Amino acid sequence: MMRKINYPLLTGMYTCLLAFLLLSSSCRQATNHKQHHSAKTGSAEIKYAKGFAIDYYDGYKLVSVYSGFGPTADTAQYVLLAKGAKAPEGFPKSQLISIPVKRLVAMSSTHVAQADFAGVSDDIIGLGSFKYISSAVVRKNIAAGKVRDVGVDGTMNDEMLISMKPGLVIVMGNPDAKYSKYETLTRAGVPVMLNSEWLETSPLGRAEWVKVMAALTNTEDVVDQKFDAIEKEYHRLAEIGRHAKDKPTLISGMPFKGVWNVPDGDSYMAEFYKDAGTNYKWRNVKGKGSLALNFETVAPEALKADYWLNVGYVDSKKDIRATDVRYADFKPFKTGKIFNYNKRVNDLGSNDYWESGSVSPHLILADLIRILHPELLPQHQLFYYKQLN
Amino acid sequence: MNKVKITVLLSLLVIAFLLDVALGSVHIPVKEVISVLFTADSVNESWIYIIEKIRLPKAITAIVVGCGLSVSGLQMQTLFRNPLAGPSVLGITAGASLGVALVMFSVGSLTSLYTIRELGLSGSWLVIIASSLGAAIIMLLVVSISSSLKDNVIVLIVGVMIGNITLSLISIWQYFSAPELIKDYLMWTFGSLGGVTGNQLLILTIVISVGLVISFLSSKMLDALLLGDNYARSMGLTVKRARLIIVISTSILAGGITAFCGPIGFIGIAVPHLSRALFNTSSHRILIPACCLLGTVLMLSCDIIAQLPGSQTVLPINVITALVGSPVVIWIIAGPRKLRGF
Repeated sequence: MMRKINYPLLTGMYTCLLAFLLLSSSCRQATNHKQHHSAKTGSAEIKYAKGFAIDYYDGYKLVSVYSGFGPTADTAQYVLLAKGAKAPEGFPKSQLISIPVKRLVAMSSTHVAQADFAGVSDDIIGLGSFKYISSAVVRKNIAAGKVRDVGVDGTMNDEMLISMKPGLVIVMGNPDAKYSKYETLTRAGVPVMLNSEWLETSPLGRAEWVKVMAALTNTEDVVDQKFDAIEKEYHRLAEIGRHAKDKPTLISGMPFKGVWNVPDGDSYMAEFYKDAGTNYKWRNVKGKGSLALNFETVAPEALKADYWLNVGYVDSKKDIRATDVRYADFKPFKTGKIFNYNKRVNDLGSNDYWESGSVSPHLILADLIRILHPELLPQHQLFYYKQLN
Repeated sequence: MNKVKITVLLSLLVIAFLLDVALGSVHIPVKEVISVLFTADSVNESWIYIIEKIRLPKAITAIVVGCGLSVSGLQMQTLFRNPLAGPSVLGITAGASLGVALVMFSVGSLTSLYTIRELGLSGSWLVIIASSLGAAIIMLLVVSISSSLKDNVIVLIVGVMIGNITLSLISIWQYFSAPELIKDYLMWTFGSLGGVTGNQLLILTIVISVGLVISFLSSKMLDALLLGDNYARSMGLTVKRARLIIVISTSILAGGITAFCGPIGFIGIAVPHLSRALFNTSSHRILIPACCLLGTVLMLSCDIIAQLPGSQTVLPINVITALVGSPVVIWIIAGPRKLRGF
């Protein structure tokens, strides 16, 4: 038995729906064309980072985060407003963030480092994972139960996040993600900001993302001053490193199942190696940050390299041999010149290299120069790196 | 006639083996390859390293894996009289994966790693032992359930279901794990012939040899099973015991290979069909050696392709075996000859 369909009602409903769609789309177009009224008062000076811009307007700040390249390029804009201020017109798609941001939720330990840098890490109330955190302030707050684990980026506990009423959730910007993952949050009025610091191709560019944190927390003065000092120190060290007489060869990373991922010429690691005065084989290869080479391509280089850096999870030469006996034939294994960035791993297994290291490129560079050219920085004590025994 | 075929296959094997050793990302002149192989000497020292420590172990692993997977696939197809059965139907591969996931996803918690280190295990051995244990536990489960079952088809379904349960356990774990740990695990599931060297290769070879000997000795049982359980019984065969022996040798073969090389698909399904078609027989006394030969040739060829000679990267071996294996399966099911061999 079929039910009779009420055609007039159906037609009416469709007409209403169509009219609504037309109306709403024309509305959106109208707002798109409207210009914002306030005058631009300046822009933050961004020298190294390519992923964002900060513009200052009368009454608000505008942060633009660029994601993707070529046809998938997209810009996410965020309007940063003082609490209670009226939202400017002309940014229908932008999220509004009231500043200074309190109650931060950070998905990556690098975001924690940026907050530490700006002196606001006490405001962190949620983290993507407790596993990777070194910051003393945040560790203390975790122990005191003031910070909650909201789940890994992409599969966050949305209900808990919304109930925490965060001022901002900072996520790792995936260049091709179009927000869908975060729609539940933004619709509930929780601002979500992309932070693609890890896509930067230079160490200083990576560190420069602290300026976004500064804009969010009204700490521009302190942050700019600190960043300028780091920048100066980095250039001083790079000057020393680049003019080193001998340029040792090196390999980095650890092969896994026959694939050896090495940093390419477009990675910040390769820039570190250049500034530290080395002859890095893949320094001129263009790429996406890392090359997946097979073992036999890297092996000839590994057999005669002077140094082996960044070996990953292993902590001794014995561990390396246990991973694969063939690695014991590499020259750095025989000479003992293997260095890893795990000096500052705490008893919970979090590695500060990935955290504060992201905003302290000068310390990493100093370590590298000390390792590769001990005579050039005799006073420097290794900070992130240590030699494997 | 069979002699000719075997001679052809043997020479193909030798050619594939030599090509696998001679071709790769790093160009090494043929003269130097031969010089390294026979005199262990070369003008370039890194060529010795590449051939002796990278390419030779990989080629030998390919041979061992090719034999083991093909024969275990053949046994499963015979036992279940199902043309789509393969080494993974018993859930053994999934069990091995569970063991590996256990190790890889808990690496983050240093305490567990420390305890394991104290036992003197680390690095690649840890993964191998974990996945062997995983495979063994699932095998015991399947064997104990199947020992009370009469029907082989039900054993097959139980095996597949246990495999599904195991895989979903891994998925849940994956869901809650950090991306970089998931990546390590994912790399493992792509399969690799390249990570097995030295003592590991020796042990893998011993394990697979044991499995192969057991299955060769049980070829008469397999022949009888092919005619149906009742007929096998009438020939004086204890079906349950035969099944137990076959399940154990398959588990040793598939579990051992998965432990050392990760899951490698399709060879186990495709090669038995190829062997039946080529030798036009259902006698396991011929099919088992035929599977070894064909499996080896196919595995070596897949490895040559996976290395993409001349390029600096390598494709996961699992991708290549599936690319080669799937058309074979299609050809068997839908092709002009509609091969059965059962």
